[in-house]
Amino acid sequence: MSNDKEWKRKLLRDMVVIRTFEETADKLTLRGKVAGGMHNSSGQEAVAVGTMSALDPKDVIATTHRSHHHTLAKGMDPKLVMAELFAKATGCSKGRGASMHLADVDNGNFGGNGIVGAGVGIAMGAAMGIKQLGHKKVSVGFVGDGGMNTGRTWEAINMAVVNKLPFICLVDNNQYAVETFIDRVTGGRDIAKRGAGFGLPSFTIDGQDVLKVNRYVKEARDRALAGEGPTLINALTYRYYGHNVGEKGQYRTQEEIADWRDNRDPIDRFSAQLISEGLLSQDEYVALHAEVTAQINAAVEFAEQSPYPDLSTIYEDVDSGLLGAKS
Amino acid sequence: MEEVFVPAVGMAMDNAVLLEWQKQPGDQVNAGDVIAIIETDKTTMDLTCETSGTLGRHRYAPNDEVPAGNTITVVLGAGESE
Repeated sequence: MSNDKEWKRKLLRDMVVIRTFEETADKLTLRGKVAGGMHNSSGQEAVAVGTMSALDPKDVIATTHRSHHHTLAKGMDPKLVMAELFAKATGCSKGRGASMHLADVDNGNFGGNGIVGAGVGIAMGAAMGIKQLGHKKVSVGFVGDGGMNTGRTWEAINMAVVNKLPFICLVDNNQYAVETFIDRVTGGRDIAKRGAGFGLPSFTIDGQDVLKVNRYVKEARDRALAGEGPTLINALTYRYYGHNVGEKGQYRTQEEIADWRDNRDPIDRFSAQLISEGLLSQDEYVALHAEVTAQINAAVEFAEQSPYPDLSTIYEDVDSGLLGAKS
Repeated sequence: MEEVFVPAVGMAMDNAVLLEWQKQPGDQVNAGDVIAIIETDKTTMDLTCETSGTLGRHRYAPNDEVPAGNTITVVLGAGESE
């Protein structure tokens, strides 16, 4: 029981870390500190934390252009994420990638990228490798609702099905492809039904419920490890900010945003649940926020103080070294 | 004190042009008021304040180019000065 308490408190903390990181990074982006802008994931914390908490650290993920929440939930130190946003040499991708290319291959994070739907293909390829090598782990490909209307996504899902790969397609469905509401552009409107047509177990779930996301991913992982093949999970969520920071958004109402924030916020819901279950006191919750704020402020300080990559390193990491790309 | 600044809203936005001040130094302003209008490479934008108070001095003049992230004025709370 005390393990359950600590586990749930960690889920809450992980979500608060993401929210605090994003709110902080958003302001810094508006101030011009973040190279190349960023996509704020505030509101989508439960999808990331619910998923990662059901995975083993050695499991693989590949993500999207909106990847801070996945990356932090996978366990990356906020310092390394913030430094990467600042394009500093101490960032997780040595300052080469910025917000959209956060990666940590050694810890199973095969990275984000700017190509809609590509994370599904990358993760499916990793699942193919896992099966070939006979490893006991799974691979999760994150994709947004917009990415569910691209061809490569379904091509990858089909390959995962026919090869019974240890793969999970996790749709981080915030309902807007940039400015376009999903129902306007999604034939049949039901992503899980599409998945069923491709022959894999497919579920639409409440992505604002961290325990529910955890349970569905855990079951999908168990099926994958048992050799039963892939699962599609369509987690309904919502982003509180624009597609990218600074967006002049006029495609949804303030009332709609307020409804999700006030009535379905994943952190408010889960903290209220833990408090009512006696697993957390109000004072402890306040202290948790203060602790996390200090942690994120330290990450900003680290990013500010870090150097930019030295020009002399510009040819490093261009290839694996075999092609001899040197200055 | 709230700093009203030119936000970096594009992926490669270096600066914006201050088109017009909508409030003068010493004016009482309310949260949400438009303080200035700026023009970026793509669009014109209203810069609003988030707090209420007294407007500080104009740090740029109309037609000045303002680097993204720079403060153009402040909103002073009771008893505050620049």
